[in-house]
Amino acid sequence: MAAAGSAKAALQVAEVLEAIVSCCVGPEGRQVLCTKPTGEVLISRDGGCLLEALHVEHPIARMVVACVSSHLRKTGDGAKTFIIFLCHLLRGLHAIPDKEQDSLISPNIQTHRRHWKNCCQWKFISQALLRFQTQVLDYIMGHYLSKHFLSVFSSSTKERTLCRSSLVSLLEAYFCGRVGRNHHSFISQLMCDYFFKCMACESGCEEVFEIVDDYFVELSIGVAGLPVSDSRITAGLVLHRDFSVYCPADGDIRIVLVTETIQPSFSTSGSEFILNSETQFQTSQCWIMERTKAIMKHLQCQNVQLLLSSVKQSDLVLYYAGLNGISVVECLSSEEVSLIQRAVGLSPFVLPHASSQYEICNTALMKFCKPLIFRSKRYVHLGFIGTCSFIPHCVVLCAPVQGLVEQHKNALRGAFKMLRQLFKDLDLNYEIQASDQNCTSSPLTNRNSRESKPLPENGSIQSPCQGTVVKNKGKLATTEAYLKVYSNLVVPSIDLETYTPCSTPKGTPTDTYQTDETRRCLVKTRTIDDSEPFTEDNSANSTTGNTRIEISCENLQVTKIAGKGSKLPVREKSLEMCTSHSQCCSSIPAGCVLPVGGNFEILLHYYLLNYARKCQQSEETMVSMVIANALLGIPQILCKSQKGNYSFPHMYVRALHALQTNQPMVSSQTGLESVASKYQLLTSVLQCLTKILTIDLVINIKRQPQKVYDQDSDEEV
Amino acid sequence: MSRLEAKKPSLCKSEPLTSERVRATLCVLKGILTSSYGPSGRLKQLHNGLGGCVCTTSQSSALLSNLSVTHPVLKILTTSVQNHVSCFSDCGLFTAILCCNLIENVQKIGLTPTTVIKLNKHLLSLCTSYLQSEFCGCRILVDFSSTQILLCLVRSIVTSKPACMLTRQEIDHISALILRAFLLTIPENTKDRLVLGKSIIVPLKGQRVIDSTVLPGILLEISEVQLMKILPIKKSDPFKVALFCASLSGDLSDTGEGTVVVSSGVSLENAVLDQLLSLGRQLVSDHIDLVLCQKVMHPSLKQFLSTHHVIAIDRVGAALMEALSKVTATICSLLLCNRNDTAWDELRLTCQTALHVLQLTIKEPSVLLGGGCTETHLAAYIRHKICDEPESILKDDRCTQTELHLLTEAFCSALESVAGSLEHDGGEILTDMKYGHFWTAQPESPSVVNWSDLLSRCGCGLYTSQEELHWSFLKTTHPPFAPQTCLPHEAVGSANNLTLDCFTAKLSSLQVAVETANLILDLSYIIEDKN
Repeated sequence: MAAAGSAKAALQVAEVLEAIVSCCVGPEGRQVLCTKPTGEVLISRDGGCLLEALHVEHPIARMVVACVSSHLRKTGDGAKTFIIFLCHLLRGLHAIPDKEQDSLISPNIQTHRRHWKNCCQWKFISQALLRFQTQVLDYIMGHYLSKHFLSVFSSSTKERTLCRSSLVSLLEAYFCGRVGRNHHSFISQLMCDYFFKCMACESGCEEVFEIVDDYFVELSIGVAGLPVSDSRITAGLVLHRDFSVYCPADGDIRIVLVTETIQPSFSTSGSEFILNSETQFQTSQCWIMERTKAIMKHLQCQNVQLLLSSVKQSDLVLYYAGLNGISVVECLSSEEVSLIQRAVGLSPFVLPHASSQYEICNTALMKFCKPLIFRSKRYVHLGFIGTCSFIPHCVVLCAPVQGLVEQHKNALRGAFKMLRQLFKDLDLNYEIQASDQNCTSSPLTNRNSRESKPLPENGSIQSPCQGTVVKNKGKLATTEAYLKVYSNLVVPSIDLETYTPCSTPKGTPTDTYQTDETRRCLVKTRTIDDSEPFTEDNSANSTTGNTRIEISCENLQVTKIAGKGSKLPVREKSLEMCTSHSQCCSSIPAGCVLPVGGNFEILLHYYLLNYARKCQQSEETMVSMVIANALLGIPQILCKSQKGNYSFPHMYVRALHALQTNQPMVSSQTGLESVASKYQLLTSVLQCLTKILTIDLVINIKRQPQKVYDQDSDEEV
Repeated sequence: MSRLEAKKPSLCKSEPLTSERVRATLCVLKGILTSSYGPSGRLKQLHNGLGGCVCTTSQSSALLSNLSVTHPVLKILTTSVQNHVSCFSDCGLFTAILCCNLIENVQKIGLTPTTVIKLNKHLLSLCTSYLQSEFCGCRILVDFSSTQILLCLVRSIVTSKPACMLTRQEIDHISALILRAFLLTIPENTKDRLVLGKSIIVPLKGQRVIDSTVLPGILLEISEVQLMKILPIKKSDPFKVALFCASLSGDLSDTGEGTVVVSSGVSLENAVLDQLLSLGRQLVSDHIDLVLCQKVMHPSLKQFLSTHHVIAIDRVGAALMEALSKVTATICSLLLCNRNDTAWDELRLTCQTALHVLQLTIKEPSVLLGGGCTETHLAAYIRHKICDEPESILKDDRCTQTELHLLTEAFCSALESVAGSLEHDGGEILTDMKYGHFWTAQPESPSVVNWSDLLSRCGCGLYTSQEELHWSFLKTTHPPFAPQTCLPHEAVGSANNLTLDCFTAKLSSLQVAVETANLILDLSYIIEDKN
């Protein structure tokens, strides 16, 4: 059986997923209870976890879930926003081709042909999306958005220092989406305390993130049955097992780590031990005993008071340890061993081959070592003194039920992952046209008249843009003529671009983008007609401008004649012609944040709309518009329950007004969120959407899969 | 995206609490728990259709571990209670009933979960800070110089377990035994920190409860034949004991990863046995009187020891080994008798609870007034506090005064209904307007003439009706009043038959109940994995 793999199907799928995840988004989000076949009950608000638990069957849904989980592996955040954004993008895209179908395809064409035609269209859109992601997004981020970024580092000194209050607001915003709404502030305070307690010096915070991220299981203890407020931080390391031998000791405690059995055995691997008599057997046993005794005695002479072993030691070793006042902890996991090695710099002790006296150099000191009991389960509590930038601490997480403990554990772990990402620079690569650089300052002032339009009108601008191409045929033809005539004139393109939006008349509500473009062309020509003296610019710029006018006209012309089908070659041509593009490398510096509650989305929405207004290619405009409008879906959901002044329309208008008048945006929330993770989320969603749009048919195969590595059978096109 | 294991899609349900089925099952569960609450609670007989013995109980731990709860929402509730019980042993039913009441009351008023959860948290923090404050009117500091308060605490616990089937006299006896057993576990001279010993409960089923007793030290089971051989011990010297945790069965120990080649004619078993016997000779020459082994002893060694008048006991087991290795520390055995198996099981659970509660009380030397008085007093305090100064909550939360009052009413009446659940015989339940304590009247009371003649003492036994008090029915609304705070010392000293609750357990159970209720009210979806 085959089903059309169209955006429509994807939209249906995404809407179902959206319905589930959107109830958990933001500070007002609620909890979801997941039961496992084993009877375990999990409480979660984590998008990744919920999507995983759903076990979705629909192949497109599964692809979406796979995309989300691969995004989560990278960043540890943003699964819910992923789904919501994807859903809005699909909705936006879905709104466009309906109109086109009506106007371009005659009703007597068979349905399957229509389908194939649709697929071609989706393919173009997906290519446009890919281009947007690789070229436009980075540019907008680096060029426009970057001036709004805040930093978690206090920048007074040259050396960056982490600002505690920024970290608290960052974490609080993160936990708002992760844990029950009663516990955000408590958990974020706990995490913040934990982080600052673990960090020996400012410069070592990356290492702390790394260690905590890698060894989170070893560094956390869950206790079910206590109120959440009993959660706390304990100094030192807690091993999830009990002492085999415990000898109370005071003062500094010397420890050794062994990874092999101390008691010698009769034969080692690969060797053969031949027993010839009973006495030989008895003497061998005596020797083994004496040797074990000697080693343990020797450890005692070296003041060793605790023996950590990754393997099970024999009763004999435990017996002598007890006699010599050495506590023993056995069966440490390999993770625990490597954590100890890393945090304390303790390497395993190698057993001597000869029984000569020697100094044991691989020891470390501890402040204390004692048993710890939580809910009648016994743990070993070791007061390690950290030797690297990480001072060992453990976090004890309490909750009435295990499911909630797990939720808090996962949230803390995710937060460390998020912070680890935040502290890395993220590179942006984009191309900018030489001419564009000049006009970056001007668009801000020119936009005012158009931007003040409320949101719904933006939708109307975006959707009918394809249909009007046909209508304006006549006008375009004349425009073209004009342009041909004046194509050799030296005209600086910047000025044209800067001024045209201004001169666009404030049209009727049916004012569409395509007509705007037409008018702009007319205006352009008119400007040339008037031959105003814009000649101060250098010649290089001017020629660029000249070619660009040509491209845009050609583009329009082709659209008019052949429709969608032959667009691609034109686009290639235009790419080739962009000779004056310069590669620009920028980055989102480590620690960049923005206030939560949709600030990032609104900013990007605003700059994308401006960008869309300026660019000539209809596809690019359309893609930018769709993305810009889809971005608003997130703040809309976040403000869903807010009333009055905090409701979404109010907030949106306020934000736009602030942007237009170059005032700082005022956010009602104090939380912060990482810009880099938002950016990564955006690119991941666009990649996922591109993937979805390239599929035209989903073929359902009812057969056992032949090979394990043949994993892509569901995605077959 | 491998399809190697075809997984069934999960079942996803939205707004679980609105479903009629969930409400009905929650109601049934609440009915079971409420009817078992307190000294006059009704007993539940649990029998498994697939076998096992019948269990008669009224304790939450036994009830919940035997009930099979299938709905995920109820599972959250029951596991939460069970987790609490495993941490504190006490106040399980209180947690469960309060949680059910809160859910039920909140559903009736129909506020949004966000508001409810925020306000519940505020009210909870009001409760906890009041209970921990110095002027708290329902908390008593424990005076360790006398056993009076501790004995009251133990007696309250034993009394509240009707399935133990004890008479008044038996209750007094068992309570005294439990307290004595606990006191025996406190080491006489401690240096810096107190490490409590252990009390081992030894079953003696089918005997009279009054025969139960406490002995210092450990009891080991031994066959009568063996016992006859040793008795009577006529030694004036100290009794020497050797304790082995290693196996004395003569097994060959681990020989390593390589191979061991044994030449023909060489018998390793004999070699090991030789060693065992030489160990035996050593024991005899050291004048050991008793050899204890955690694992198995070789029969030849046992034989050898017994011919030399050394008592050998093997297979002691790991559980007793820990106690045995600390035999010089403080350990006692509580020999517990009861008439039948189920009543004994219930009594054992009760003893364990009481011992645990005593340990908790040593750590945090406070007790709360029991018998429903803490609940009604707390409810009165919260009502008054909210009525008096609502600004503290209203200013930092975006909620209205009406919402706050609705929720306070729901919260307080949930607390009061827990107290009300103590009355099972149809009696009137009242609260006084001075202390905010809980009072019950006989069911067949005539039309009210004078309450002070009808009532005798409040739930906890601290106040008598002879004081100038005014009463009001608990279920009716009455104007908020400030209950008297700061418990007077003389009042506590004079009363010798108080009903008391463990402070640590009750405080935690209050928090767990509210947190669990909040969690359940916050659920928007249930995703059930059907694999």
